[in-house]
This record gives sequence, structure tokens and C-alpha cells, in this order.
Amino acid sequence: MAQIEIRDLGIDYRKPKGDEVFSAVDGVALSVEKGEFVTIVGSSGCGKSTLLMAVAGLVALSRGSIRIDGKDVTGPGPDRAVVFQEASLLPWRSVRGNVKFGLEMQRWSGGNLDERAMQMIRLVGLGRFSDYQPHQLSGGMRQRVNIARALAVDPEVLLMDEPFGALDAQTREIMGTELLRIWERDKKTALFVTHDIDEAIFLADKIVVMGRNPGHIKEVITVDLPRPRDEEVLDSEDFHNLRKRLRAHLAEDMSSMQLVQEVA
Amino acid sequence: MIAELFYRRQALILGTLSMIGLVVLWQIAVDGGFINPFFISTPSQVWTEFVAQFEDGQVAANVGATLYCFAWSMGLATVAGILLGMLAGWFPDVEAALEPFIWFKYSAPTVAFYPLFVAWLGYGTPTIIAIAFLFALTPIYANTLSGIKNTDRDLARAARSFGAKPYDIFFRVALPGSVPVMMAGLRLGVGRALTGVVVAELFGANAGLGYAITYYGQLMQTTRMMVSIVIVILLGVILTQILSFLESKTDSWRTDTGR
Amino acid sequence: MRSAEMTAAPAEAKQVSFSFLYPSRSAVVGTLAVLLFLVLWQVAPSMGWVNGRFTSQPTEVFLAAIDIFRNDNFLYHARISLTEFVAGFALAIVVSIPLGVLLGTSKIARYLIDPPLMALYIAPTLVLLPILVIWLGIDMAPKIAVVFLGAVFPIVLNTMAGMSEADPKLLRMARSFGASKFDIFSRVLVPGSLPALLTGIRLAVGRAVLGVVVGELFVSQAGIGYQLNLYGQAMRIDRLLVYALVVSAFGYTLTILVRSVENKVRDWRSK
Repeated sequence: MAQIEIRDLGIDYRKPKGDEVFSAVDGVALSVEKGEFVTIVGSSGCGKSTLLMAVAGLVALSRGSIRIDGKDVTGPGPDRAVVFQEASLLPWRSVRGNVKFGLEMQRWSGGNLDERAMQMIRLVGLGRFSDYQPHQLSGGMRQRVNIARALAVDPEVLLMDEPFGALDAQTREIMGTELLRIWERDKKTALFVTHDIDEAIFLADKIVVMGRNPGHIKEVITVDLPRPRDEEVLDSEDFHNLRKRLRAHLAEDMSSMQLVQEVA
Repeated sequence: MIAELFYRRQALILGTLSMIGLVVLWQIAVDGGFINPFFISTPSQVWTEFVAQFEDGQVAANVGATLYCFAWSMGLATVAGILLGMLAGWFPDVEAALEPFIWFKYSAPTVAFYPLFVAWLGYGTPTIIAIAFLFALTPIYANTLSGIKNTDRDLARAARSFGAKPYDIFFRVALPGSVPVMMAGLRLGVGRALTGVVVAELFGANAGLGYAITYYGQLMQTTRMMVSIVIVILLGVILTQILSFLESKTDSWRTDTGR
Repeated sequence: MRSAEMTAAPAEAKQVSFSFLYPSRSAVVGTLAVLLFLVLWQVAPSMGWVNGRFTSQPTEVFLAAIDIFRNDNFLYHARISLTEFVAGFALAIVVSIPLGVLLGTSKIARYLIDPPLMALYIAPTLVLLPILVIWLGIDMAPKIAVVFLGAVFPIVLNTMAGMSEADPKLLRMARSFGASKFDIFSRVLVPGSLPALLTGIRLAVGRAVLGVVVGELFVSQAGIGYQLNLYGQAMRIDRLLVYALVVSAFGYTLTILVRSVENKVRDWRSK
């Protein structure tokens, strides 16, 4: 049985004014095996973040089910940890204090919190900065703390919502490689949402391509590129082909999107 | 339907409810013997007294006197505050020269100098206006200064690239851009001007709400005092609301980055 | 609701940096302005431009200061005013912080409590002095009461605002780790409202100092305000100014202290 089983998932939102109901996501089914790194890609409005939030337990389901290791998801839990696009670090705590935060919330009993936090901080390459405050760190560094905090609670599933979206292109590339290095250690099941095609291919064992209106899965693509991966793989022919396939999918969506709001 | 109406006007409805609730609480507290009416009177008595004072013209006279001083002090403070604020915001040297004095004014309660003003201007209206003027000056000056100083640099740069001279930039970019912050300063100034007038009236006046409060206070006539106190509170709320309304009218284009 | 403060306070005086050899231009201009003022003040009465009886002169004020600190029972009066200030302010803090924290968490409570609190914040609570004197007598009590009233509202209002303006992203993050409501309250909301709380305290300081002075001017048998009144009526402007300067020095020092704490905390916000 797959670790994550999503069946016939539907999530509806009620529009603020009036009774109109709008489906962010409808009829989504997905299986994710333990240890798979799955990227979810699609143009804006396709529901990829909503899907991730549903797996995280932060959004209620209207239809269908999400099961992790056989248990229904009804809310947040210690088996999952989220890395959001904004680092959301508590500004009054140091790096160490922030990494400890998740452990504190979950009443971590697996040993000394400080030691565990420092372990994670070193893993993400910030060993020297454990006493720094968030405002003293760059965007990339803050995301590393974000990742360390999520890994610290040893979740079964790592959920990442465009974690590098707010970083500049070069930092993004570096972080991608870094993330794989960190991931290789424990090979946790991961769901990674992005709108960057290269990132989606580079990181993934499996790519879930989503489309809009309403959010649904268009295609699930297996990525056979060997691991561990480095920048060279970006030039390989397989990579090019995958890129072409994904771009075709996105081009479809772009043409149906209105890029300019017409004034009535 | 009613539920929806409630939801939209939640703030207003709850606010009004709580005001009414307070008045009711007040009445109950005194009637129930929790508080001695001598100290605080009751809503019903205050109302009756208010009507009486209204009819014999006291209310009008007091409110009039207070508003007269308020208008003068607020007017002077607006003119002086905005002018000085604009100069200081535009010319760093002016700001630097004024800064020690503003800091002093900011930390020293103006009222400490009340006896000084009395020595210069005597008891009565000029002193009251002077004190209230100084009270209201600080936020108006500070906000105008901040508004001009913190003009969006990108906008100014864009204007300059179109060949705008400093004069243009001031009147077409800096000034309009600082209107919201200035309005906030005026809103704060209103509260302070009213405070200044009434407090000064407490000490030495022969008309006005503050005067009435002290006068009846000395005669230990709580009910009559409360009438003026309630009027002062209402005036403060009304004047501030008016300014808030004006402020929001000028606010429409502003994104929250300014705060 | 607008948080109770939207005033730009005077810009930090650009301090002369510790390398005294290179003072900044604004420090120089500021110092020159003050010196010019002092010179004019000294010279004007002698030249007959103003009546020296009404304005005194820097030298007179200086000499009066020396005299006062030596002979005038200065410490006695200062202690009385300080006691009134501290008692009122401490009481305000003890009441307003828990109140602000608790009220800030409930939307309904905020809507209910905000309007009357705002009205009282705007209203000149000093006008209650005559009533307070009737209730509490003419000793320290009414002054402590006005200090309390002056300080309590800005602190409550700002704390409430701080609690309710928490970053929703932080709350979502905490929820994603399964934080309980109490955890979120104590570990995210409360620490996050510290900057707003400090702003409230800074605002409260000014109003509290005002309260002591006005209270003592109104009715007192001792204290700084009492001395102010005394010398004012006796037209001893030089001595009056000494006491006025003492008050402003006190207010200035306190404000600087709160400011420096605020600055340390404001670093959090620079993202």
C-alpha cells in the first residue's frame, strides 16, 4: 500500500459575497510511495498549494479522502511537517530557538531538544549561525532554518510549498542542490510544490502536473534520472525531453488564462 | 438576512451596544448601592441636569467658549505645524536646528510651564489658546515632517528623470504623498488641542467646560460636573471621528507600506 | 481599528558618534541652534527687547539651579512626585497588560471594548481631577489616580492591537506543527505583541508625567508641581524654569530608555 493515498479529493470554497461555490480542486487521485520525492507543478490557480495544504491537514476536504499510512488526515499531525514559502520564523527567537519550536509544540520526547536542534542546524549548513536572529539572515539562510525546523520533528512526510519561490534565481539553484543533499540522508517522502519547471524535474522521482478550472491532475510523469543528481543532469537529453513535455502542458494553460483583467 | 446585516456592521453594532451597556451599568451600580451617587451621580440625574443647563443656555455658553479656544489653538497649530513640518521635511538643516527644541517640547509636559504662561499672558483666553496650541503642535509637526521626509524615493526619482525641478517635486510628489500622514497628525492634534483647552480651563478661566468642571467641583456638585465631563468626552469623540472620516477620504490610494 | 498611535515621533537625534572628532552635520546644526537660542535669551533682557522679569536669563536659571539643589528641599519634593508617578504607572501596568492580552484574543471582546476605550483614551481624563479630588482627597491619591488613568488606556489599546495584528503566516506555521490554542497564545501571540506593548508604554510615559504635573498644579501640598505653582505665582521665573527643566529631563530620560528597548525589539520587524 502506498504511504500517501489520495482518493477522489475535492475542496470547495464559498465566495465571500453570496453563495457561489468554487472548486479549488476536484476529482484528484494520487498515490505516493514511501521515500518518493514528488513534485507538483502547474500554472497559478491549478490548486497545487491547496492540495498540499489538504495533505498537511490545514484545509478541510469537501469530498474524498487522504490517507497516510492507512490513517485519515483530519488535521495537522506529527507525521507531517510543512516548509512554507515564507520562512515564518519567530523573529524574537534565534536560529536554534526557531528550530526547537516544532519540537516544543509536539512535546518531543526523543532526547535533548537542544542537541536535536543543533544536529539539524548543522545538517542544513548553518552550524556557525545557531545564535543569529532571523533579521540577520539572508532569505536563503532563513529557508534553511525553515527546513531544519521541519526535519527536526522527524516527520513521515515532508511537505514543501514553493519554498524557494521568494529567492532569487541563483540562490534557488543552490538551494535545490542543497535540498537534495539533505534529503539523501533520510530519503523522506516529500511533496514539493513549484511553478518552476526545471526545479520540478531536477528534484523529482515523480512529477504531478496539475491543470486549472477546476484544479485536477493532468498527468503523472516518472523521472528516471539517476541519483544523486548534480547540475550536469540539467543538460542531459532526458531532461530536455521532460522539459518540453511540461512546457507543452503549461502553454495549454497559459492560452486559457486571461492575463489582463478587462475593465467592464 | 438579519444575521448577514449583523455580520457586516458588527463593529458598529457592538460598539453602540457597549456604550449603552456602560450607561446601564452605571445606573445600576449607583441604584444598587455599589457606588455612592455623591461621587459619580447617575445617568438619569445627569440627563435631567443636562436638559436644565441646556435650556438656560449654560451648555451653549460653555461649549461655545471651549470651542472658540479650540478653534483658535487648532488653527494656529495646523498652520504652524504644517509650515514648520514642510520646511523641516524638505531642508535637513531646518530639521536639525529645530530638533533639540522639539525633543524638549516632546519630553516636557507643556503644562509644567503653565505658571509661566500665566505670568506672561495672564489668566484667561490667551493662555488657554497658547497651551492648547503647544499641545496640538507636536503631532502635526511630527507627522508633516515624517510625511515629507519619507516621500517615496522611487516616485521622486521617476519625476526627476522627467526633468522635474525640486520645486515641482515638492509640490507634485512630496506634498500630495504626505497628505495621509498629515491627516493622521491632524486627527491626533484635535484630541490634544481639546485636552489642552479643557485642562487649561480647569485652572484659570471664567467660561468653558473646564471652568464649569472646576467651578462645580469646588461646590461639590457632582451632577453638574458630570454634565460637562460627559460633554467633553462626547466632543472629543465627535471631533476625532470627523477627522478620521476626512482622513479616510484622503486615504484611498494608499497601500499599507506607508505605515 | 487604527492602532492608537500613528504619529511619527521626532526623529532620533543623530547622536554624535563615539568618535568625537567627526560629529555629524545635523548634530552641529542642532547644537548651534541651541547655542544661538541661549545667547539670544541671555542678551534680550539686557538689550531691553523683552522684560527680564518674565523670561529670566540662562545665567539666572543656572544660579537658581545651584541654589535649589542645595537649599530648597529639592529631594523632598522630587521624591513625592516620583512616588506618585511610580505608584500610578505600576498600577497601570499591572492592570493594563493582562487586560490587553486577554481582550486582544477575542474578536467580540475587541469590538465591544474598543469604542469605550478609545473614547476614554481620546478624552482628557485630566478633567476628572476635580471629581478625583472629591473622592480621594488632596494628598497623593488623586495624583496617582490621574497617572493611572493617563497610562492605562494607551497600554491596553496598543497591547490589544498587538495581539490582534499577529502575522497570520506565523499562526499558520504554528498550527502546522500541531500547536494547541494555548501554545499559540503563549508562544506566538504574546511575544509577538511585545513591540506594540512597548509603544503603548512609551505613549503612556508622556501622559503619566503630564498627570503628575497637572495633578500637583491643581492641588498639592508638596511636590515638583507644587513648587512650580509657588514660584509661578511669586514671579520667580528663574526658579520656575529650573523645576520645569527637571520635569522635562525626567520625561526625556524615560522616553529615551523606552525608545532604546523599542529599538532592540524593532529589529525583529526588519525582514
